[in-house]
Amino acid sequence: MDMLAKIRPELPASVEHGLCSRFRTTKSYCTSCAVVCPVPGAVQFAGQGAEITDACVGCGACASACPNGAISLKESDPQLAERIRSRVRPGETFRIACPRAEGKVDLVLPCLSRLTEALLLEPIRGGAARAEFLDPGCSGCGLNRDAPQWERALFLAQALCESAGFTAGRVGRIPVSVGRPQETREASESPNPRRAMFRAIAEKWKDAGAVAATEDGATGQKPAEVFRDAVQRHHGNPKRTELLQVLRALPGAEARSKSLPAAGLPFADVEVGSQCVGCNVCETLCPVEALRHREANGVYALDFYPALCTGCRVCEAACFHQAIRIRETVDLSVLFDQPSVTLISAPRQTCQACHESFLGEASEHRLSCLASGDRRDAIARRFFLGGNQSDQP
Amino acid sequence: MSEYKSVIPREAVDRSFAKQGPKQYTLWVDIEHCIGCNACTIACKSENNTPIGVDYNRVIEIEEGDFRDPQKAPNVGVTFVPMPCMHCGRPACLAACPVGAITKRKEDGIVLINKDKCIGCRYCAWACPYGAPQFNAEAKVMEKCTLCVHRVEKGLLPACVNTCPAKVRFFGELNELTPLMRERQARAVSITVAGADTNPSVRYTTTK
Repeated sequence: MDMLAKIRPELPASVEHGLCSRFRTTKSYCTSCAVVCPVPGAVQFAGQGAEITDACVGCGACASACPNGAISLKESDPQLAERIRSRVRPGETFRIACPRAEGKVDLVLPCLSRLTEALLLEPIRGGAARAEFLDPGCSGCGLNRDAPQWERALFLAQALCESAGFTAGRVGRIPVSVGRPQETREASESPNPRRAMFRAIAEKWKDAGAVAATEDGATGQKPAEVFRDAVQRHHGNPKRTELLQVLRALPGAEARSKSLPAAGLPFADVEVGSQCVGCNVCETLCPVEALRHREANGVYALDFYPALCTGCRVCEAACFHQAIRIRETVDLSVLFDQPSVTLISAPRQTCQACHESFLGEASEHRLSCLASGDRRDAIARRFFLGGNQSDQP
Repeated sequence: MSEYKSVIPREAVDRSFAKQGPKQYTLWVDIEHCIGCNACTIACKSENNTPIGVDYNRVIEIEEGDFRDPQKAPNVGVTFVPMPCMHCGRPACLAACPVGAITKRKEDGIVLINKDKCIGCRYCAWACPYGAPQFNAEAKVMEKCTLCVHRVEKGLLPACVNTCPAKVRFFGELNELTPLMRERQARAVSITVAGADTNPSVRYTTTK
């Protein structure tokens, strides 16, 4: 049984916990992946943030829905993008369909919700005149809980198209009847799936046996990384890197400003109020390095990179002083020119009473001083002299 | 080190006092008889090996009356109020922590900071109305009174309770302490702060 446990097949999707906002702050209630998952119980939230269980069917909706790119699939986004680009014929229409659609297509995917904004734009980047997605309608499909994600990605891709100066119609949905798609190009790789499965198991068995022989029960497990260190380490957001690459490479793109309401979008614009004390929690907890601080000559400055921000709202949820706030609208053109914005720049001072640092111009003490000892003293004094007592059992 | 025994056998607890609810270990300080020797502070520092400036337990001295005022002069007095973490029922620190490093243990109601998770942002110190969590500059994490959880788990009393020479500190389950207070005809209060509804568990005795 031990050997069997070792050769368990890889799950179709895996989570990079450092990018999951549920892992970085307990104040995040992000359920982007769970709400689009068609299988009950395939995505669960535990101490490590989102986790994919054995129930996963690998439709890819969660990977496409996660704004931070925390979920990666067996066939990664760059690999799928490569596959799309290799089939694109410049100047012609490129068609992608799900297995239920009727019609001639260039590529069949298990579910259209697998496509991220970047992948929806990939045919255009490859030189296709139009990208068409044959949609037989999701009602009656076993994966129909994915549908909102597919709608959202299409909406975003069309908005990005407009922001790039194209007509939104270059990325379009074609309603078709239910049937069977015919791929115009035969998939070159068509190995016998059953044989391939057994071969993979045999190889894993061999490897597992070899490992067992060398280790002989010695635990090769290294201790889990301390959360404090894990949260200080920042990962790049692979999904956003991919999108920015696609947008940069779009032929004939010309950035135009296009404002959208920020609610529910994987983009955001933030602002910082005067309550900011420079505690750096937003920077530490931001999963995608969209906030970075500078500190020189006693002046604290917080920089924001709007092209990297995924609107996960971790910063807003975590800030104790409620200094950071997500603006209600967002301009998509920041994805093209990728500016950095200085949100706040103020001299850092130290409170004379509690020795805590704060940001401000002139005041000696900050408004609500954090002198813990004094605070205890004041509370006890007020309570026992002031007479605001309450009877307890 | 004396063995921790429940101050009153569980069976003897009046049923009307055995509240429904989770178990809550806590301290009761008889401030009527506290002599302000600060032995609890020292024992705590020694037991928990805290650096200078970090005190899990502090004794606040409150002076009453005024020698210069002949009206008040006969009534001068000093009250000593030891202030550890109150191990609140609804901890404000727990609600403020952005990374979930603070937990209130279900089995005994002790509020603990997980030093592996703590990122040292001091939000708990900001939120706590009693000023209990303090920043340890060496380890770059927040620390506070743990009710000597390492001793309690072994069946020992917390260091402060064990040391108290005046025997005014008591440790036990909240519902078990209540009959003891009754037996001594003491009136117990918990220090409440206006605007912070945290339901503190530490009890003090007062005649006022």
